[in-house]
Amino acid sequence: MSAPTPEEAARLAEERAAAAREHGGYAEAPPSFEVSPAAEIGDWRITEWAMIEPDPAKAYSTRRAGTPITWLKRGLLRLLRQYHDDLAGQQSRFNAHMAAHVMRLDERVRELEQQLEAERRGA
Amino acid sequence: MRIQQVLCAAGPVDAVTNQAFACRRLFGSWGWGGEDASAVLAPGMDRRAVRPLSSLRPGPDDVVLVHYSGYATGLERLMELPNRLVVISHNVTPARYFWAYEPIDGLRCALSPAQLAELARAADVAAGVSEFNAAELRRAGARDVRVIPILFERDRMGPPSPPAERRRGPPTVVFVGRLAPHKRQDLVIRAFALYRAEHAPDARLVLVGTPLAPAFAASLARLAEEVAPGAVTFERGLAPEALWERYRSADAFLCLSEHEGFCIPLLEAFHFGVPVIARPIGGIPEVVGDAGLLVPTDDEDGIDLAVVAELLHLAVSEPDLATELRRRGEARLGAYGLHPTAARLRAALEGTEAPA
Repeated sequence: MSAPTPEEAARLAEERAAAAREHGGYAEAPPSFEVSPAAEIGDWRITEWAMIEPDPAKAYSTRRAGTPITWLKRGLLRLLRQYHDDLAGQQSRFNAHMAAHVMRLDERVRELEQQLEAERRGA
Repeated sequence: MRIQQVLCAAGPVDAVTNQAFACRRLFGSWGWGGEDASAVLAPGMDRRAVRPLSSLRPGPDDVVLVHYSGYATGLERLMELPNRLVVISHNVTPARYFWAYEPIDGLRCALSPAQLAELARAADVAAGVSEFNAAELRRAGARDVRVIPILFERDRMGPPSPPAERRRGPPTVVFVGRLAPHKRQDLVIRAFALYRAEHAPDARLVLVGTPLAPAFAASLARLAEEVAPGAVTFERGLAPEALWERYRSADAFLCLSEHEGFCIPLLEAFHFGVPVIARPIGGIPEVVGDAGLLVPTDDEDGIDLAVVAELLHLAVSEPDLATELRRRGEARLGAYGLHPTAARLRAALEGTEAPA
């Protein structure tokens, strides 16, 4: 049998996949989880983001011969750690309250949706 | 002539940054000067090569060339300058793909269409790197819309390996692109796992790309370990030579993205003679033309992974088909030759008619 042309390949692939399935092939066990392309932002993700952890590696210099400037910046960060920890603590506290508030609102919306659905069915 | 190039974000392994550098080399060969600036400089970006946007001070006769790839602050002032303004849209990914992993990137993408539309309307020439991107600029109401594909510098990539050498090891499938939800590496992994289970138990998959977020990369790694244990390699931050080696050792290039404005790796795969299998979405059909195997899709652009696995098998196991795809890929690169693209870019910058 001669090789398929690129134009014939898609049809041939479909036929072969269908034939293989008829004989039990391509019985893909669905993965235990989905990597969703446009997933909803879950509660766990919001809480994960709420607790901020600035990365000291983000203090860097892109200047010519910037390595000493990078060291200087990181040294300053170490010296100011007490202040920055407090700052991060305050921000995280605010974020956590906001996250909790959003989650409570989410629960209330869900309850209201359920009530509405029940009323619709009752009507 | 002096061209001041503006990037929304510059990074050491960023495709748009590399395009700006390719343009700069071209301008240099024409004897044109100018500098490159960016609204955001990623870690590792050399400030000698790209300066902060805030330091950009174009001269009265300079042309400002914006490579648009996402919302950035500071671009508004470019529209107020009296200079000739040319905007090239490199495509913006829909925001929905980013919310769950990098909401700040999502926000940038959500703000981008309005900013791009404003820039495009203010520009003397607004260009898309593909007709798919150009259509977006026309909808935005830009005056002079053109297509200026990416500058593809084949001579910097070295030769492909001969097909005989390619088939010495186990079948290798490769995809190159940022590890991001819209690139659907999860589908690439699952289709590869089916191919491996049905046809080639020793096959390998190489995914090259910087992750959008550690959580997304971890999800992909977990999926790979579950459906194709030990067969999937993730690589990032490769130097150009190392990247070219990945293509040279590949038997097929598999792209199942849900959104692509152009997809430069398709041209790289053509250059290295790697058969391409791709989902016909966004700018992909016009880039691939008849030189790749396009995956059949349903009404909602969905695909059957078993069909993808069969296409992989055909591309790897049918030498005549692979040879024909290599021949067509080489012919396809003719449409993306450096000289025709350079002529289009020059016409846009000089304000002359686009060459046919």
